[in-house]
Amino acid sequence: MDHPRIGKGHHMAQVATDQVFHALANPTRRRVLERLSAGPATVSELADRFDMQLPSFVQHLGVLERSRLVRSAKRGRVRTYELVPERFAVVEGWLAARRREWEARLDRFDAYVKQLKDKEAAP
Amino acid sequence: MTTQSQFNPKLDFAIERFIDAPPRLVWAALTLPEHLKEWYMPRAWGRVARAELDLRPGGIVRIDIAVGDGPDAPNVGCVLEVVPMERLVWTSMLFPGYRPAVFDDIPITAIMTLAPEGSGTRYVFTALHRNEADLATNKASGFYEGSEIAVDQFVAHALTLR
Repeated sequence: MDHPRIGKGHHMAQVATDQVFHALANPTRRRVLERLSAGPATVSELADRFDMQLPSFVQHLGVLERSRLVRSAKRGRVRTYELVPERFAVVEGWLAARRREWEARLDRFDAYVKQLKDKEAAP
Repeated sequence: MTTQSQFNPKLDFAIERFIDAPPRLVWAALTLPEHLKEWYMPRAWGRVARAELDLRPGGIVRIDIAVGDGPDAPNVGCVLEVVPMERLVWTSMLFPGYRPAVFDDIPITAIMTLAPEGSGTRYVFTALHRNEADLATNKASGFYEGSEIAVDQFVAHALTLR
């Protein structure tokens, strides 16, 4: 479905940008990041600060980890999260990032409209 | 025109493209929910869980996004201008019916124009954004939830931790 003009690298960068912005778009996740900027913390240390069911909270941590703004390591039975500061560079130049997002969207739009046209032309 | 928008290259961008299909098809792909669902999201990342577009000023534009098995993220905005086959404007600064609201942290006014060109369509997508400095100031002054941090501020801080 990707337009041939999008290189693989471009597409992956696009997904990375989407994931980072998605991760930052939620107040709970931002508060987790704020806490982690003070230093690593375990799941229970993080969860204690939020009035939320653990499964929902763990889902937020999953979104953060997939965005790679944080990483986790398991020591024994305890999972510890820490910030990945260099990852925040993705948000720098947010306008360029949003432009890329809409350019990729336009590539998909273009390809889709062509499909519609071909479908109409088919006997 | 009373709807002049001040294009600011520091805040806004425009993307122009020749699409090799007539405006009728481009308009359909742009405005019909069953079409929107097919191209709006990168498949590798997520999908459009629900799409709704009421093509009249004040009408709803709704494109909810689902990522993995996570909950749907609602995206609701307001249609501002509709000239069939020519021009569509919507904003995420307002809820349907022009009710003041901001759903996004970085709200957008999107302007889409179509013009016939040969056998195809000249398509321009313009995105207008709010001033980010205003956003940071609003957040700092507690306009948003008191415990919320300004994203920009935080990102700048996180980058210093590198």
